[in-house]
Amino acid sequence: MATQAANTVPAETKKSKVRQSLHYKMVLTLYRVFALAMLYLVLAGILAYAWVMGFYAVNSSWAAPVILSAADEKSLAFREQLVTSQQTIEDVKVDLQKMQSGIAEMSKHRAALLALEPQLQEAIAREHSHNRATGQQLATLDTQKQADNSKTQSVLAQLKEVESNIHNDLAAGLITKGDAATQLSALNQAESSYTDSKIAEVLLTDNVLQKTTTGTDSLDVLEKQAELRSEAAQLDVAINVAQKELQEDTRQIDRLREAITTAKQSPYYLIASGGQTLYFAFVPYDNTASAVAGSAIYDCYFNMVVCRKVGDVKQIFTGEQQAIHPIFKTQIRGFLIQMDLNGKESAKSRTVFLGRKPILF
Amino acid sequence: MAPVLLWLIMVLCLLVSVVKYVMGIILKVSFPSAKVQKDYSYQPTVSVLMPCFNEGKTVYETIESISKSNYPPEKFDVIAQDDCSADDSYEWMLKAQRDFTNIRIRTGRNAANSGKARTVCNAMEQSSAEIIISIDSDCIFHPDAIAELTACFSEAHMGSVGGRVGVRNPNDSVITAIQAVIYYSAFQLYKIPENWTRSVCCISGCLFAIRRELLQEIEPAIRARHWFGIPVNQGEDRFLTHQTLLRGYGTYINNDALCWTTVPNTLSVLFKQQLRWRRSIVRDFFYTLKTLPQHVWKLHPNAVWTLILTPLGALVGFLVVITALTSDPLAWAGPVPLVVALGIGAVLTWVIKKYSAREAVAHPLAFGAYVAWSLVSSLLLTPLALLTMDSADWGTRTKEVSEVAVGDTSS
Repeated sequence: MATQAANTVPAETKKSKVRQSLHYKMVLTLYRVFALAMLYLVLAGILAYAWVMGFYAVNSSWAAPVILSAADEKSLAFREQLVTSQQTIEDVKVDLQKMQSGIAEMSKHRAALLALEPQLQEAIAREHSHNRATGQQLATLDTQKQADNSKTQSVLAQLKEVESNIHNDLAAGLITKGDAATQLSALNQAESSYTDSKIAEVLLTDNVLQKTTTGTDSLDVLEKQAELRSEAAQLDVAINVAQKELQEDTRQIDRLREAITTAKQSPYYLIASGGQTLYFAFVPYDNTASAVAGSAIYDCYFNMVVCRKVGDVKQIFTGEQQAIHPIFKTQIRGFLIQMDLNGKESAKSRTVFLGRKPILF
Repeated sequence: MAPVLLWLIMVLCLLVSVVKYVMGIILKVSFPSAKVQKDYSYQPTVSVLMPCFNEGKTVYETIESISKSNYPPEKFDVIAQDDCSADDSYEWMLKAQRDFTNIRIRTGRNAANSGKARTVCNAMEQSSAEIIISIDSDCIFHPDAIAELTACFSEAHMGSVGGRVGVRNPNDSVITAIQAVIYYSAFQLYKIPENWTRSVCCISGCLFAIRRELLQEIEPAIRARHWFGIPVNQGEDRFLTHQTLLRGYGTYINNDALCWTTVPNTLSVLFKQQLRWRRSIVRDFFYTLKTLPQHVWKLHPNAVWTLILTPLGALVGFLVVITALTSDPLAWAGPVPLVVALGIGAVLTWVIKKYSAREAVAHPLAFGAYVAWSLVSSLLLTPLALLTMDSADWGTRTKEVSEVAVGDTSS
């Protein structure tokens, strides 16, 4: 019995050991298969990684699709800039029109002023000539008048005696009162005429003075002439300034229009102007030679193999762009192209290739 | 989410490393209690076990250096055990036995190639000493090494004590220069916080002292080590240290116990060595996870952190490098890592030159190459270790093993 028990225990132990050994063997086999597969996977991963790095270091035909949206920060900024530029053009245009009207008005006013100048000159000359002629005559007449008045004055002295005789004759009754009144009235008239002559003489003298010397009236006329000229000169300056502003505004409009024309060549304008879905791609400067309008675009699996044509290059934008290298993750400089794609899926690829398949298939 | 978690763990691991280095400096400068109170009057009997495999004449030089030890000759012996070397190592052992008669030298040879761990156990069978010192057969020892190690066992709960391993050939190549700097900083700084709590997680097998009764207790576990039936003969130093800690003993590295090893001077040999070490780390990590509750209850938190975060850092480091290489492939090529490496290298080179001229690195700039090495090691070592756990290959000393006609011999 004891011997049987003793035989059973080692047999069970042996059995258990065999079972454990089988278990270990199975685990080990599974582990080794898994490890082998993983090691090959790791090796393949390392080689693939090195290959991808090397490939993108030397390849010069890749481009990175870029999805631009109207809601992108750049697009929004672009749209804002565009609207501002257009608004500025409109504002400047209104200013321009106002300025042109102003210049026209000022020019008209200036012409009217300048038209007055010869007439004024002519009137002054005519007046001068007339005064010269009449002044001389008036002076002669004034002399004659003075002589006449002297003679009249001496005659009037004799009239005192005549008046006395009339009174005597009346008192004597030699003449009637009526005759006496008539005679005395005649004497008064003579005296009054003399006074008028004296007044006329003074007036004539004054007139001669006016005609033969420069008077205040002439000065007023000259002042008017100076004012006229000054106003014309001021208008000249204002017109000049306005014309320069006009030129500057015209140039600004030209510049803004030029900027808008350039901006319209940007992909952001196309996006901002809305409408259909557009596809773009970033091309680094190193790959410029491959970016030709009309050339084919290929999309590949694993970013390099089993490539298929997915569209063409539609347009090339000259503006510089900066982007992150899709593989090396470094910042690079380049430009954008517009792609005419058959399907939108390729726009989501990390890279596409321009012109030809990168590695023959 | 996953990458964030990865980065978080990586940052935590790095932070722990940085904290350990910084703490190492602080403890070294300010806390004498971080050091063991050594008692040089305590002179137990010692057996220096020297397992050997394909070391050639170096074995002779190693024994020669031990023969110059400042330890009472009657209190120690050398037991050299050959693990069926394919070269003339055994002959050199015998020559050393004949030449250095001032000390007791015993030599033996395994019946079959068994690996370092089992060779140590075989050698121990010939010993009756209180303290067992296991050494590598390619090292040169300072005359005070034995005395320094035994002095630390005056602390009753001290289970294992290690020495500082220096580099014999720092200027052989850029690779050896890098290793010289790393070895020095690891022993002088990184291990210090572990020393403080007497919970060093890996004492180098180059110079490893352990109490005899403790080693005897662990021996069955050493002999039984296997990976799904395949005997494990690598990483016995890490295993022994780990087992010491789990049995409630303290572990410590005495930086005054010096030895110098010849480090790999070619990339392929270094890679093989590091791969072997990484396998040990991974194996140790799995063991820690398997017995985590035991670790949490028995070990100092410092040891638990180290046992978990060091291998976890290696595992996560691999994933982080993969992520980095795919998300920003040229980031590592930037100047920052190089400048940091050169800065650290320059400082450590100066310190080594000042305090350990024997290991001085002639070209401090060589440490710049550490950037490339760390990338390669992070990327390749961990996955390769994980996928070659069944390998029993030592890697660095492989030569065709000659058939040993004689059985287990000893003299």
